[in-house]
Amino acid sequence: MVKDNSILTLHKVAIGYPKTKNENHILFDNINLSGRKGELIALIGKNGIGKSTLLRNIAGLQNVLAGDILFLDKKIQSYKRNEFARLVSFVSTEIVNVSNLKVFDLVSLGRFPHTNWFGKLKEKDIRQSLNALEMVGMKSFIHKNVNEISDGERQRVMIARTLAQDTKIIVLDEPTAFLDLPNKYEIVHLLNQLSKNENKTILFSTHDLNIAIQEADKIWLMLDDEIIQGAPEDLILSDTLNRIFKESNLNFDKLKGDFRIKRKHSKKIGLIGDGLPYNWTRKALERLNYAVDKGNAAIEHIEVKQVKNELNWNFKSEKGTFVFKSIDELLSK
Amino acid sequence: MIFKLNHQKILDYKSRNIILWIILILLLVLLFIADIFTGSVNIPVDEVWRIITGQSTEHPEFLTIIYRFRFPKALTALFAGFALSVSGLQMQTVFKNPLAGPYVLGISAGASLGVAIVIMGISSFTVVSQLGVIGNWVIVIAAWMGSGLILLLILMVSVRVKDIMTILILGIMFGSATTAIVNILQYFSNESMLKAFVVWTMGSLGGVSISQLKVLIPGIFLGLIISFLSVKILNAMLVGENYAKSMGLNVGLSRFLIFFSTSLLAGSITAFCGPIGFIGIAVPHIARMIFKTANHQILLPGTLILGGIILLFSDIISQIPGKENTVPINSITALIGIPIVIWIIIRNKKLSNLG
Repeated sequence: MVKDNSILTLHKVAIGYPKTKNENHILFDNINLSGRKGELIALIGKNGIGKSTLLRNIAGLQNVLAGDILFLDKKIQSYKRNEFARLVSFVSTEIVNVSNLKVFDLVSLGRFPHTNWFGKLKEKDIRQSLNALEMVGMKSFIHKNVNEISDGERQRVMIARTLAQDTKIIVLDEPTAFLDLPNKYEIVHLLNQLSKNENKTILFSTHDLNIAIQEADKIWLMLDDEIIQGAPEDLILSDTLNRIFKESNLNFDKLKGDFRIKRKHSKKIGLIGDGLPYNWTRKALERLNYAVDKGNAAIEHIEVKQVKNELNWNFKSEKGTFVFKSIDELLSK
Repeated sequence: MIFKLNHQKILDYKSRNIILWIILILLLVLLFIADIFTGSVNIPVDEVWRIITGQSTEHPEFLTIIYRFRFPKALTALFAGFALSVSGLQMQTVFKNPLAGPYVLGISAGASLGVAIVIMGISSFTVVSQLGVIGNWVIVIAAWMGSGLILLLILMVSVRVKDIMTILILGIMFGSATTAIVNILQYFSNESMLKAFVVWTMGSLGGVSISQLKVLIPGIFLGLIISFLSVKILNAMLVGENYAKSMGLNVGLSRFLIFFSTSLLAGSITAFCGPIGFIGIAVPHIARMIFKTANHQILLPGTLILGGIILLFSDIISQIPGKENTVPINSITALIGIPIVIWIIIRNKKLSNLG
């Protein structure tokens, strides 16, 4: 019965580009992955490792060099063009910026595989397109031009187009790339909601690991020599996430669920205090490459104190005691 | 309920254009008639009217002028306007380039090579103008063969090349190569041949006879039918071939249909009238500005009608100097087209990212 839920399987897939007639440039080999119905999958890996190529292969825009991609246990090659377009839809990194193109016209283009040769929209197609815009919260934008809306709004419209296309699987290549922080969170959250409420399998690549960890059901992690899949929590517990940035100074903090840079601490300093003021003072000191020693009053140290409604930082060293009113003042000493 | 309301809104937005359509069609008919009224021979207005409405006239020579010259000329202007503007729109959409036109594929260069070979090569032995009617056909066939050759090259390339921009560059290269050959031919030809060729490159709507129209018009009709069958394809190509393919578009078939109809439209007009510039580039922009849409269901018929209107208007203007002289149609279309394009660019600075 577990198998019934599966919708996408990659079996020993090799991706890349043909170099000459008989020779291929292989980007990645022996890819074995799977996706279930209603699952939000984040594809993560370094730049240039082949994320986009993998997504283009799954979206049917490019052919695999070896192995099989199966949708509902049927090989991708055995689908007819139109049949496949009703199964998988795609959002690429290309920005659609056509002047005079109305939001509604762009979204209703998603009805392409459902309409006749002339692309005439029937009542049902109009309803589906409006419904799609409703789902992404862009219904009031139908008469706007796509080149007159913000990047975040345009990304929602592009997602609405895939919803109008009415496919079981949606593939998105870096949907959060051009967005500001709130929009990044909102778009990925929207994808999460769509995967749950509409029971769609949504696969997207991203560099925003924090967001992916919070929202995705599964992560496909492209490392240098293998692809690992699993729930984000499993990957954290097994220390797999740390392997992405092997060569860099980044380290995944398992407790805080966040990345931080590995620092070389040169000077020691004592810090006395508690609660939030203690935590943030500690962060500030670490930024200046201090190794913070909690509660050590024997060396040079700082004491954070609440005086009435104000915070005071008392810095004690051999030269005497100085009082500061803010962290900024303290650091500028 | 909410859907009903919005559905109504969408319909309203489409029906608002109905008045616009009526105005444009009336304008087209008016200009067509006005074009018949104007010409180098001064025929009184009431005489023209009697002839058009089929009443008898006391001046058989006026009847001849109108039926043999002015009517074919107006029809040629009408269909040339249709063909060039529609093929220009198709090229702008397919190549996602606002400066693309009917000739980006090298079609006019191919045609001019054919004509150059006939005028400056073959006519070293006989003078084409002495061949009379046959000579006219020889030029048409040579131009057609030249543009057909370029079309074949483009189609062969378009099957193999994945990236559409590569095709654009190859089209320009083919065009430049043929132009280079034409230049060599020009260099080695004598003065009278050179003039005959240069006059051909200036374009003329007046040289098409009734018997030639019987070939030209069905050709244009076929091209336009293919264009109208490609409306859905063109809309999908607006967002790029990748998206179009992901929505189930057959890219190979689509390219074939669009390149074939473009060549048929632009190639036929170039063969009979010479290369007429700027209509193909300017008119689609005017249509976008007037209809404020990128949807080809509206844009394609809109571009068609506006193309007819503007070329008929240009033809009338070209006859204004009066008497025997008419200004080359190519100069008029450029002088009308260029300010329009400049105005649109300055008015809406977003021309660069139109589809």
